[in-house]
Amino acid sequence: MTDATPSALSPLAIDVRGARYVYPTGNVTALGGVDLQVKPGEIIGIIGQNGSGKTTLTKLLNGLLKPTAGTVIVDGVDTAKKSVQEMAPHVGYVFQNPNHQLFARTVQMELEFGPRNIGLSEEEIAVRVAEAVEFFGLQDYIEEHPYRVSFPIRKLVGIASIVAMRPPILILDEPSTGQDHNTTHVINGLMRRLRDQGTTVVCVSHDMPLLADVVERVIVMKSTEIIADASPREVFADKTLMARTNLQAPQVTEIALQTVVPLGGPVALTPAELAADIAMRTGRPAAARTDAVG
Amino acid sequence: MSMQAALPVAMIPGNSIIHRINPIAKLVWVVGYVVLAFSTQNIVVLYSMALFALLLAPIAGITKPLLKGALILVPVGSSLLALQIIAPAVERPWTPVGEIGPLTLYGDGIYYGFVLLGRIVASLLLALVMVMTTHPSDLFTSLSKLKVPYTLNFMLAMTLQLIPVFQREVGIIMSAQKSRGMKGKGFSAVLPSFVPVFVGAIERVQQLSISLESRGFGSNGIKTSYRQVRGRPSDWVIGIVGALALGGLSAYSIWRGTWNISSDIVFSPLFVVVTFVISATLFFGVVLFAVFLSLKK
Amino acid sequence: MPEPIIAFDAVTYTYAGTDEPALHEISFEIQPGEYVAILGLNGAGKTTLGLCVNGVIPTMLGGELEGTVTVGGLDVSEYPVREMSKLVGVVFDNPEFQMSQMSVAEEVALGLENAGVPYEEMKRIIPDTLELVGLAGFEERSPLGLSGGQQQRLAIAAVLAMKPQILIMDEPTSNLDPIGKQEVFDMAARLNSERGMTVIVIEHEVEVMARYADRVIVLDGGRVIMNGTPQEIFSRVEELAALKLRVPEAAELATILRTEYGDWDGPVPITTEPAVAAVNDLLGATRD
Ligand SMILES: Nc1ncnc2c1ncn2[C@@H]1O[C@H](COP(=O)(O)OP(=O)(O)OP(=O)(O)O)[C@@H](O)[C@H]1O
Ligand SMILES: Nc1ncnc2c1ncn2[C@@H]1O[C@H](COP(=O)(O)OP(=O)(O)OP(=O)(O)O)[C@@H](O)[C@H]1O
Ligand SMILES: [Mg+2]
Ligand SMILES: [Mg+2]
Repeated sequence: MTDATPSALSPLAIDVRGARYVYPTGNVTALGGVDLQVKPGEIIGIIGQNGSGKTTLTKLLNGLLKPTAGTVIVDGVDTAKKSVQEMAPHVGYVFQNPNHQLFARTVQMELEFGPRNIGLSEEEIAVRVAEAVEFFGLQDYIEEHPYRVSFPIRKLVGIASIVAMRPPILILDEPSTGQDHNTTHVINGLMRRLRDQGTTVVCVSHDMPLLADVVERVIVMKSTEIIADASPREVFADKTLMARTNLQAPQVTEIALQTVVPLGGPVALTPAELAADIAMRTGRPAAARTDAVG
Repeated sequence: MSMQAALPVAMIPGNSIIHRINPIAKLVWVVGYVVLAFSTQNIVVLYSMALFALLLAPIAGITKPLLKGALILVPVGSSLLALQIIAPAVERPWTPVGEIGPLTLYGDGIYYGFVLLGRIVASLLLALVMVMTTHPSDLFTSLSKLKVPYTLNFMLAMTLQLIPVFQREVGIIMSAQKSRGMKGKGFSAVLPSFVPVFVGAIERVQQLSISLESRGFGSNGIKTSYRQVRGRPSDWVIGIVGALALGGLSAYSIWRGTWNISSDIVFSPLFVVVTFVISATLFFGVVLFAVFLSLKK
Repeated sequence: MPEPIIAFDAVTYTYAGTDEPALHEISFEIQPGEYVAILGLNGAGKTTLGLCVNGVIPTMLGGELEGTVTVGGLDVSEYPVREMSKLVGVVFDNPEFQMSQMSVAEEVALGLENAGVPYEEMKRIIPDTLELVGLAGFEERSPLGLSGGQQQRLAIAAVLAMKPQILIMDEPTSNLDPIGKQEVFDMAARLNSERGMTVIVIEHEVEVMARYADRVIVLDGGRVIMNGTPQEIFSRVEELAALKLRVPEAAELATILRTEYGDWDGPVPITTEPAVAAVNDLLGATRD
């Protein structure tokens, strides 16, 4: 065991074993016994069809829901034994719907709320808030009521308010809904930065290009279960899996699958990657990249 | 659950006998209750009415939410009784029965205090039973059959339908705050965020009303109903019995000139003092608790 | 030329309590039976434009509206939204704010009841519509106890059931899984071709737009800056990039191949199939 504290129950960032969850209202089984292990610093994506249990799984991770059976250990802490409040310093949770998360009078107060709760000094709070405002480009909105700004900005405020707490584990439930290409870019950049800082990130999303770009590992869910756990390339290349789970690879990956992949080319995740491979096959890279060819 | 705690006055889904009674029949009873409660000053009648309403709760399976909803009666009822003891709403001369500090306690108002309290308790309990067992759309459909003015009906239906939405709002905001490490539990956790909940809820209501109107809510022309509200023979019996019994008792009370039986009941001075102490304690207890919570922030 | 079903004539709109107009001098027409997609950055005015079509702007939100919006021959500022609802159905961008009933079936029934659809017919339409959006069997569930995507499906069903002549969907698939997304656009395309329903979709995902829309209108800063077929619009890759808007990945691929490798001289493909065909041609040509 490496750097796990003696009290930690698991050296993993996330260690879910046999977790079941049944919603008491309507007696709906949302998770039917899932296992998930995530190492510190990993960035994983969770994908799968609507209602397959993604949001439920992530709510178990921050203790908002307690497993009906099985165990959920996050940052070495058994969530069943802690209140949601006590989990807050261990894990940050960005809600699928920002309206479920925002309540302060101004965006500024919204951003200060979490850092203050975890007992940071006023100077530290100011630094964190300023940093979040800068990173998410919220300068024009700090005095606004969070409900008065547009949905996509609200979404960014929701993410910023959690990022400002700098949790070791961050959970994002569909961070890019309603975002244009430009703001999706901000989220993409955020995930890269978190990766560099060593934060463990779990990102639920239907946005395949977003995930293809930043995560190395995807968990695929289908009706209450995890049915695959692999790299984006492996998952996207698995036609039966994709069809069974209502998923679809990014357009460029689809094109790659029907063109270069049968010739032994890569399951490309971005247009640039596919273009490079095609150009190589047509013998053109030298034309454009004279400097690279010695 | 905590979500229910804040506003416990929405429909509790179920399929009990009470749930299945036609909304109009239930409405007849509620109206009858209010009429009778305000035409009589007979406390035996009033508290029997309250007891009857309470007995319906276990049948409908709504005992807990009903009691929670009825909690609002504690500050109202206790302040009412305490006031009637120190400043009776009856003509002087008053007979002092004791003193507590600077306050002189009188026995003359206590009967009237119990009447006022009985009226509120009886009417409110039955109204709560009705709201908790009646689907808002059923009530809406029934009322529009009765040709209740559309706007009034619309407002009533909206209010009833929005209550669960507000409830959820409170629950959601609490979990959001908790997942950002906010300390505190239950009601004391909701109180500091009352303003934001309210602002958020207003926004929500506005968007909801845009969505409702865009689906033709409130438009002219013939309306149909997906939920079929039936009037079975038993509903007629319940409605007619209610109208006759409650109407009859009201008429009798009015004929007896409010049927006040205070002269038949003697309240001992000790009873008055004890009632006052209990009411005053309850009332100030609630007030202090509320102040404490709002300062704790 | 038939009468346009929707006509914006020099529309400038300013929200109450703000100084900057959200829409500037907007003029365009939509013919009955068109399938139009609206593209633009966050805050470009897409939602605002949609709200003008069923009259939420100006009758419910107030503010200052100059110019006229004519829908089905009616000036929207003169009719209440609830009357416009007989003509225009709107799926709003926030599914949760559209849920008001105690069960899924009743949520779908709401619009039908208001339109006076007989009970027997409702009993048929409701399960059919729920089936269409993948919510078969959810009739008795509470709308508040659904997943995000399920709520969005329900919001769509609630409007579709009313069979409006004009359907406006504001980011209707933002929470849907990829196949669910396609199904919604397929469904709209079917209603469009079979029943001549006029469809307006506000979207960020350009791939689906390219595949389904007859026409794309690009908004920027409250102004219409492009208005044409998907092929015309998405071929203007550089211009869109300057506006920070995406083009379909197929078009991006072709553009990279052309500008960086000089490897593409045909038309820019905007959907998967022509891109696959063109790439295979390119690869086949080199192998021969
Ligand atoms: N509050 C609730 N009460 C009852 N059932 C619920 C509740 N929330 C979710 N469910 C049900 O649990 C199942 C899983 O829901 P969950 O929200 O985890 O799905 P999801 O994978 O996040 O879907 P989406 O992609 O649509 O967000 C669904 O069938 C859903 O209807
Ligand atoms: N209710 C409102 N009051 C005041 N201003 C508003 C209101 N709604 C939108 N605006 C402003 O009007 C402009 C256009 O907003 P709109 O919501 O139409 O954009 P959008 O293109 O739909 O963006 P998004 O992609 O974020 O949904 C924005 O500057 C926005 O801040
Ligand atoms: Mg979800
Ligand atoms: Mg919008």
